[in-house]
Amino acid sequence: MNLTLTNTGSYPRIGDVPELQILRQTLARFDRQEATEADIRRAEDEMVRRAIAEQIEAGLDLVTDGQIRWYDPISHIAGKLRGTKINGLLRYFDTNFYFRQPVLVDRLIRECPILVEEYRYACSVSSRPVKPVLTGPYTLAVFSLVEWKEYRDLERRVEDYAMALAEEVADLAAAGADLIQVDEPAIVLEDAVFDLFAAGIRALAQVKGAARLALYISFGDVSPIYERLQELPVDVLGLDFTYSPQLVDRIAVEGSVKALGLGLIDGRNTKLESEAEVATALERLLPAIRSDVAYLNPSTGLEFLPRDRAFRKLQHLVRIGLRFKQ
Amino acid sequence: MSREKLRSLGLDLPLLPTTSVGSFPKPDELQQARTRWARGLISRADLEALERRATEFWIRTQEELGIDVLVDGEQYRGDMVTYFAENMRGFEIGGLVRSYGNRYYRKPIIVSEVRWERPITVSWWRFAQSLTSRPVKGMLTGPYTVMDWSFNEYYPDRRATCLALAREIRKEVEALIEAGARIIQIDEPALSVRPQELPLAREALQVVTEGLPAYFISHACYGAFEKIYPQMLALPVDNFDLEMSNSNLDLLEHFKRSPFTKDLSFGVVDVHSHVIEDVETVVARIRQGLEVVPAEALWIDPDCGLKTRTVEEAIAKLRVIVEAVRRVRASLA
Repeated sequence: MNLTLTNTGSYPRIGDVPELQILRQTLARFDRQEATEADIRRAEDEMVRRAIAEQIEAGLDLVTDGQIRWYDPISHIAGKLRGTKINGLLRYFDTNFYFRQPVLVDRLIRECPILVEEYRYACSVSSRPVKPVLTGPYTLAVFSLVEWKEYRDLERRVEDYAMALAEEVADLAAAGADLIQVDEPAIVLEDAVFDLFAAGIRALAQVKGAARLALYISFGDVSPIYERLQELPVDVLGLDFTYSPQLVDRIAVEGSVKALGLGLIDGRNTKLESEAEVATALERLLPAIRSDVAYLNPSTGLEFLPRDRAFRKLQHLVRIGLRFKQ
Repeated sequence: MSREKLRSLGLDLPLLPTTSVGSFPKPDELQQARTRWARGLISRADLEALERRATEFWIRTQEELGIDVLVDGEQYRGDMVTYFAENMRGFEIGGLVRSYGNRYYRKPIIVSEVRWERPITVSWWRFAQSLTSRPVKGMLTGPYTVMDWSFNEYYPDRRATCLALAREIRKEVEALIEAGARIIQIDEPALSVRPQELPLAREALQVVTEGLPAYFISHACYGAFEKIYPQMLALPVDNFDLEMSNSNLDLLEHFKRSPFTKDLSFGVVDVHSHVIEDVETVVARIRQGLEVVPAEALWIDPDCGLKTRTVEEAIAKLRVIVEAVRRVRASLA
């Protein structure tokens, strides 16, 4: 078993010292018309470099760009498609974070790549492989408001988001991404429609080419849908264990045909988990995975933590994970 | 029912009492002084003098506008959770965390047993009340919200955290009552975050309020209240203060299906819009409120704290509220 130590998505874009606050300052100066878009881009580049450097320093094998340029997980993608405008704030699951809700005003069309340049930049400043992360079609569809009447039907929204994102997945694969992560947290919502969600994932899987697809789900208990997730055409299933007290037992017994992304380290609380408890869970989980790879990662992106705590979490993850690496 | 309680507390309020949710914008001189204080350029006493001056300004302003139940305007607070965390034991103030866009806040970390050691808001309440003969609300943040907006490194779970906070926050309520506050508002904007935890929020508020002689209001906003209504009516408070206008009065439909059985502080102006509502719009909203709640049970205020607006916008919005209420009262008489 090859255990890859990785990040789940976001990384804090601010810290407590002035040199870690350049992005906030530049955005504020931009609002006062004292900075240009090029200035914002430079500040973002700098914070991406730092986010990657910290992940590598902590000891990760596989990093992300920290989603530094993302306003939030929904509007960063939806807002770059034609046919949307961006609306007011809404709470993101049960976090203390808010996203801007997209409004669908016309047919969704992807006019140009959304993440490819960001991915290329991250690769250019990283000595470790980079994993691009995108939000999945079902989650985008669920959190969109509808003005264009043809999208009143959720199925149509998922289909068209999936079509746009499939082009993105194909482009990321062509740009050299080996593992592409798709986040679909909305499948944990009470009224989620599994078949629509699955159709969206299948559309992405069809175009992934040589790349592998990782489906990541956070913010809820995946136990009720665990079996059905195993049937999806993805290569890796990333699971948030913080909501699922029974999930370790369940996987230890039922096993997993997929490689798993083990979200055993809580990305939303500063407390460092007991090394012994995480190690015990890994001892039980790893033999149950019928794949030659597994991933150890935080349960969610790390932007919910202050920067120093996010870094400590990653160091903690690495300390535990190294015990299981061959 | 609640009118009787108000009377028994010695409060004789007009129909449709006007009030505010809590915060008002800080005048420029205070805003600048806070920055200078954070940089160590002025003393705590210098800052506090300006906080007192701003509090006095807002009390006078509310009186002049003709507001019935006043608030101190929270000129001394940065954030509604961090302020209490800074003034109780057991918290560490963490680094910056993003709340949205380019906005960040310092999320508190619970690192040991939480303890109320001394009154937190009482001297501000006393000062504000000394400036006016109208009732001033005691204002604090509730245990469920403090729990949800803090990291927890000490307690085994959310329930233990929330109930421990409730026991300590009760002491602040007792101290406010001791000082003379008769209307106490406990803000719980996190209330709808996890609908399955509503019983916990209820239990915690019970701990905070049980047996205490005050009229309790709980403010909540910008959540999926349809998911916790009508169950939320079981919370042990007399009055819910709800944001209504930012969500197009959507909640009224739910109140029509299942009667609203508490007093309602009805948010009639949107605090996230620069636009000053016209009096007719607010009159129409109040009338819609009267369709679901009897006049005896209806209070009128903005959706939420007005600190997001400029001083001028905040005053203009309050003025519209007072005028609209005056017109509706005249038609009810």
